[in-house]
Amino acid sequence: MPPCAPFHTQNDLDRRGGSGYISPDLEAICIDWVGANLGVRDHVMSPGLEISPARVGGEFLPDEGYFASPGEAFGPRSVTLSIGPIVIGLAGLSTRQAEGLDSRYHPFVVREAGAPDVRVSLRRAGVDRFLQFRGGPGGETYRLESRLSGPRLTLWSYEFAGFIEASARRADLALTSDEGPLFDRGLENFLRVLTSSFILERGGFLLHASGIVRGGKAYVFFGPSGSGKTTVTDLSPDDVVLSDDLTLVIRSGGGYQAAGIPFGLAHHRVPETRASFPVASFNRLVQSTDVRREPLPGARAVAELAGSLPFVMQETAQSALAVDVVARALEQVPAWRLYFRKDGDFWNVVEER
Amino acid sequence: MDQSAVLTKNPNVAYRIYDGEATVVMPDRSEVKVVNAIGSVVWDKIDGKRTVGQIVESALEAVLRDYEVTPDELRRDILTFLGDLREHGMVS
Repeated sequence: MPPCAPFHTQNDLDRRGGSGYISPDLEAICIDWVGANLGVRDHVMSPGLEISPARVGGEFLPDEGYFASPGEAFGPRSVTLSIGPIVIGLAGLSTRQAEGLDSRYHPFVVREAGAPDVRVSLRRAGVDRFLQFRGGPGGETYRLESRLSGPRLTLWSYEFAGFIEASARRADLALTSDEGPLFDRGLENFLRVLTSSFILERGGFLLHASGIVRGGKAYVFFGPSGSGKTTVTDLSPDDVVLSDDLTLVIRSGGGYQAAGIPFGLAHHRVPETRASFPVASFNRLVQSTDVRREPLPGARAVAELAGSLPFVMQETAQSALAVDVVARALEQVPAWRLYFRKDGDFWNVVEER
Repeated sequence: MDQSAVLTKNPNVAYRIYDGEATVVMPDRSEVKVVNAIGSVVWDKIDGKRTVGQIVESALEAVLRDYEVTPDELRRDILTFLGDLREHGMVS
């Protein structure tokens, strides 16, 4: 029998704006803040929905027939990337593209990796855009639309359209540009989604978080844009930074390891290493005037972490799996709400046992 | 709220209960919410078969065992909570 508690203060929830049984602080957790890099607003998730390939308002909707038609590869070259436990083969590249990716993703490029976990066939889109930028005074959140049809997840945005079939270990990616920012952005956004889907199937997850290695352990700092993920990396000049944006959490043996991913778009640096390190803690960043931390318990920790998973939370079955995966990780790794200010003092708190 | 209405959880919602609290993911609204321990007792009673009245009485019995609250106050709170769930698109 649990102790009797004042009913209205149970779990410290106040009663503002409603019954108080739903956490008010978590109502703001949305996954649309990922929009800084790849938004999920306006997503379409209609299993089995048939969409004709038609231009609607200047947009091209890629249907199954679009991908079934033979596409033109950019060239005969390929590059293989090792992202945590996932080996991704990129095929259909031109020599120039392959050399560019070799250079940009250098720590993650592997020569002898055996059969990849997924082979991504790149092709020319044959259209100048899929989605049209709507503009407006405030611009718009980067739009990514998706459709789940059987085992196939189809994605499209302004400069790319592609599908992922995890069970068949294959993916197709059509890009509107063969070089430059549109090529880079389309490729990297697609690979981010692909990585997040594949790692989830292996009991890990891609987290909107910075990852910093200190003393051989990885400390993961997460929270929405503006919470301080990049700031904590700037305040850790002598440490190894795995990422200031997206950190891969890998299930390994009985524990969890963190690693960086190279798909940082133009404004995030490529990690210096593809090595992974044991995760010491998950820290939900809260900017403050003081420095302290408090445990993030049970369902709240799950919700906070799940709310920071990009790309995998917009479909019910995948989001249920994601919640389970996160909950399993939290059985092994402690989670904290970390109040910090812009100096290195937070490390004194973070490293406390 | 109509006491005879049957409430159903939003089929697009994914949820799990940890330490008595529910983590509820609503993909179509891009939101993750936590329902506290008492709310989770009520949430658990929503099965697409029970009416609002049955949910209230069923939850009442479970909650009154453990918490100091009058039945009338609890009935009011549960109805408010059910209204909140509906407002947030978690049930219909």
